[in-house]
Amino acid sequence: MELFGQPVSPGVVIGEVMRYIPFRPRLTEEPLSTADVPSALARYDQAKTKAREELDALENKMANDPEKAKIIAAHQDILQDPVMDEEIRSLISGQLVSPDAAIAQIYDTYAAVLRQSQNARMQERASDLQDVRLRLLRCLAGVPERNLSALPKPVIVVADDLYPSDTASLDRAHVLGIVTQVGGATSHTAIIARSYEIPAVLGVAGAMEHLSDGQTVILDAVEGKVLTEPSDEEIVAFRAKGEKVSAYLREDKAYLDAEPVTRDGVRMKVYLNIGAVNDAELAGAAHVDGCGLFRTEFLYLNSDHLPGEEEQYQAYRKVLQAFGSKPVTLRTMDVGGDKQLPGLELPEENNPFLGVRGLRLSLARMDLFRTQVRAALRASVHGNLKIMMPMVGALDDLLQAKAVIAEEGAALDRAGIPWNYDIQIGIMVEVPSIALIADMVVQEVDFISVGTNDLTQYLCAADRMNPAVRPYYQAYHPAVFRVLGNLARTFAAAGKPVSVCGELAGDPLAIPVLAGLGIHKLSMNLSSVAGAKRLIRRLNLVEAKALAQEVQNLKTAEEIKARLTAFAERTREGSSSIYV
Amino acid sequence: MYSREITIVNESGLHARPASDFVKLAGTFQSRIELKRLGEEKTYNAKSIIMLMSLGLAQGEKAILSAEGEDEKEAVDALAELVANLEG
Repeated sequence: MELFGQPVSPGVVIGEVMRYIPFRPRLTEEPLSTADVPSALARYDQAKTKAREELDALENKMANDPEKAKIIAAHQDILQDPVMDEEIRSLISGQLVSPDAAIAQIYDTYAAVLRQSQNARMQERASDLQDVRLRLLRCLAGVPERNLSALPKPVIVVADDLYPSDTASLDRAHVLGIVTQVGGATSHTAIIARSYEIPAVLGVAGAMEHLSDGQTVILDAVEGKVLTEPSDEEIVAFRAKGEKVSAYLREDKAYLDAEPVTRDGVRMKVYLNIGAVNDAELAGAAHVDGCGLFRTEFLYLNSDHLPGEEEQYQAYRKVLQAFGSKPVTLRTMDVGGDKQLPGLELPEENNPFLGVRGLRLSLARMDLFRTQVRAALRASVHGNLKIMMPMVGALDDLLQAKAVIAEEGAALDRAGIPWNYDIQIGIMVEVPSIALIADMVVQEVDFISVGTNDLTQYLCAADRMNPAVRPYYQAYHPAVFRVLGNLARTFAAAGKPVSVCGELAGDPLAIPVLAGLGIHKLSMNLSSVAGAKRLIRRLNLVEAKALAQEVQNLKTAEEIKARLTAFAERTREGSSSIYV
Repeated sequence: MYSREITIVNESGLHARPASDFVKLAGTFQSRIELKRLGEEKTYNAKSIIMLMSLGLAQGEKAILSAEGEDEKEAVDALAELVANLEG
């Protein structure tokens, strides 16, 4: 059997599955009787003591890892907080709330307070509160700590999702690979996996159901799949692939800060896709020419409330400052009916990817859009901001959005609030209807960025989340390259830039074609940057142009992939590639 | 009761690490210790990391630090000195 997901940290490993099922509390709803109060308070005290002992033990273990030790110390502070302690006790003794429900209620209250803080660092502290809450509740339930800190043997960890508390103590020597059911390239798990260089495939639907403990699987975190019951031949083949990949990745690192100049002297631009806005992510700014895709959904999705103007402004300012004078392309809210937002009742849709999402939702909820635009315009004085709108299918939506931006700019002027008048406005090209009128679009925008993941799903009419139609979702479909070629020609004629910010932009097989089509701005995840630069430096644009012409006329995605693989082999001349 | 006005001098303000050091020191005194932002009414328990983070004092802000109890003066003076010497 093969399971598919998103490869977020490259590598190929073979190993035994260990399903990780962390403690998830069930809260008592019934009140205590007065007679139970003393024993309830005693149980709470015992839980607190146990939690403190666990944290002490963790802190000792982390003595040589100051970053993690700091997190553990912060957890101790939270656990010992006198105000929360007093409030929990008074809920138990005064309101007869059972200890577990009391802990949950008080921790949730203060987590919400921190989340509403204007300070982004304080907002992050809310997740520390969640971690301590869980630890306390588990100690109260008398469940021993199940964690990934001391594994008896090397395993591939399979979980529904991993929390920061799960990964903070990760036994790096024994975690061969990570598979989770939820999460994507910008999730916490992805960032940790990349920083630890642990191969990881996330968003693998049904992983917990289909994989069992002790079963040997092949985890291919280059292609994004898990292979069960491998044959001896497959094990030999994938082991060899794994060694090649590791060797290649080791060599790649040297190129992280290299200039992405082709052999014939063209300086391409390599940008970063971001969407978590934490320190690890923003540190990537030093290695790239800017941020080509700043996803703003994290503001809405990791929160129990709709983010206000000030909260958004602070987040945007933080990103702009991290990138200094380098451009940052902010993408306005890209959510729809497949994701429920706290504080925003979205009707369920039968086809959410063909529904009210992206700019369509922004225009339907003008209050949200105007708030976001104001926050972005205000932040524009702190760096080099560009704004782009996702899911644009027709020019009238674009014109309406531009009008809103102009109105909000005028309102800021009236209020005497400064903003940068030179902000470039662009759109994501994902919807075929807008791609096909590129000649008209080019007159209305300063730039476009092609989201190849959605463009491919709409061109091929294949839901990229549905494993059943996976063979129909063809990243190398000739239509994708023809559309890209048309966009590149039209915009080049007008002297306006085209970039690609989908998966294709960081794909070593596709980069030569994009370069050959004249798309010299590529935006990708940090993990792809070094490899992409290395590849660009071996590229000859004359050859890449010929390749781009050729693949637009090959008949199938399979043929194109074979051609691209052959080209990649020739380009690297003897050095290995992770894709071969 | 004994009070002093303090000013936050360090760049990251009174949260995260500085706040942790602050509550640890505050916890060593018997007195009730409170903080409030200058010009505001609401007081915050200065022995609580959660309260300090909720208060969220930033660089340049002024606050009133007060204590009530046997060691009130020592408490306020020691904490005021800690705040004055915060770095980072």
